[in-house]
Amino acid sequence: MGLQIKFIVAIMILALWVTPAYAYLDPGTGSILLQGILAGIAAVITTISLYWEKIKPFFSKSGNTPKDRM
Amino acid sequence: MPAQKNPGSYRDPRGYVFHYDGAILRTILPSAKADYESIRDKGIIAESIEEGFLVDTEELDKCSIPASLTDATYIVRHFKIPLISYPYEWSFYQLKEAALHHLKFQMFLLERDAVLRDASAYNIQFIGSRPVFIDLLSIAPYKEGDYWLAHSQFCEQFLNPLLLRALKGFTHNGWFRGNLDGIYTRDLAKILSLKDKMSWNVFSQVTLQAYLEAAALKKPNKATSQAQSRKPFPRKAYSGFLTQLYNWINKLEPKDTGKTVWGEYASDNTYLNEEADKKRLIVQLFAEEHKFDKLIDLGCNTGDYSIVVLNSGVKFVVGYDFDSKAVDQAFLRSQKQGLNFLPLYLDAANPSPNQGWRQAERLGFQERNMADGIIALAFIHHLAIAKNIPLDQIVNWITYIAPRGLIEFVPKSDITVGKMLALREDIFSDYSEENFIKILSSKVNIISSQLISSSGRKIFEYSSI
Repeated sequence: MGLQIKFIVAIMILALWVTPAYAYLDPGTGSILLQGILAGIAAVITTISLYWEKIKPFFSKSGNTPKDRM
Repeated sequence: MPAQKNPGSYRDPRGYVFHYDGAILRTILPSAKADYESIRDKGIIAESIEEGFLVDTEELDKCSIPASLTDATYIVRHFKIPLISYPYEWSFYQLKEAALHHLKFQMFLLERDAVLRDASAYNIQFIGSRPVFIDLLSIAPYKEGDYWLAHSQFCEQFLNPLLLRALKGFTHNGWFRGNLDGIYTRDLAKILSLKDKMSWNVFSQVTLQAYLEAAALKKPNKATSQAQSRKPFPRKAYSGFLTQLYNWINKLEPKDTGKTVWGEYASDNTYLNEEADKKRLIVQLFAEEHKFDKLIDLGCNTGDYSIVVLNSGVKFVVGYDFDSKAVDQAFLRSQKQGLNFLPLYLDAANPSPNQGWRQAERLGFQERNMADGIIALAFIHHLAIAKNIPLDQIVNWITYIAPRGLIEFVPKSDITVGKMLALREDIFSDYSEENFIKILSSKVNIISSQLISSSGRKIFEYSSI
């Protein structure tokens, strides 16, 4: 029993110890990570559209759109 | 007299705002010298002023610098904003206009290799209905690859309060006044429905951002190192980000209250009868006689009488109303007609307090609202009957704001007061015209009283000069 209480108290002290560490985190971190992701998505879309531009003549030459082929 | 430092100006240690001899001065300290000179020498400051983004600003020559400010490398003088207002006093459309102004200014600066360091809504002020940016030292040089570091602040102070109304139909004023930082993304994310989150803009700006923020809080070291080792943010992505937000915000409208409904709302509140004409004439003659520099219109509704006084020679009108939709409508009207009319939200029974750091950062209503003239038409019964405020305190408050004014007294025999008392006990034995006259004449001189309706409404003109 005594051991259990000691364990709970230790956890509580640890929790108190850990919490302030969060406060040092810049609240804008989420926003920076978000901008990184959005820039990544934009880059992927740009790459796909560039490839698409390259592939497009191939489909138009054959006279079929990808939809027709499916 | 030495220059007085503005108590709200403490966040940026590179320069402060001072009040000196009726002028607004800003110091540029040695630590801001290089950035300021680079922005100034590229002509960005001059161009920003010319384009209407930045408040009129001029650099003082060395010999006219006040002795108490000689530690500054430069001193600039800003145009004095007629009335400092805060985002928690703005209507939806006013906050939207401020948000768009901020984004447009950012896009303008980015093209010139500059950015805004922060995205504080308090850095935008209004001259009439026209927004201007007031914090010169927020302009910083841009380097290719920079992230938009103020993005999360932009969301808290502009985007999230707008979304609260656009998605949920709640006004932002109370929440924003309670938290001067605005509305945190994590808080907004919690109250959005699945349907709200189905939009890509809402998902990316609110849900995903809140998720990343929460994940960063769980593993701060990992998030910080991720953020530190980030790839450069391409200029195209930066400007695309700004444009996307601009286009989205530009389309935001309050939920369930489209412009058509408000059009009807405005016409419902416009009295086109003989009594209204009489009232209008009294207001017009009062304004024409005194031609006030600044007049406050308490209970301005959609701005009918504010416009009457502006057309009668008053230079600047600040309107206050408790009804958010009316203030929205009034702002749109002022904007459309280019008026020197600033309508703001006010619960007169609970006006903006002195608050923020040391309770001096953001000033209360009373500290900012002194005027030459005031009109309080169909106003005092809302305080006396609906809010139980004693009549003598209301009269004290109004006559303290301005030395001359018009106050309308609406008697119990009038249908409006009748409706207010219909479902409650009449505990207002002091609420009578006789008592009102007694109180008013004990404080100020009653110049005139004119009957304007068959129900006994009267407009009293007072003067304490």
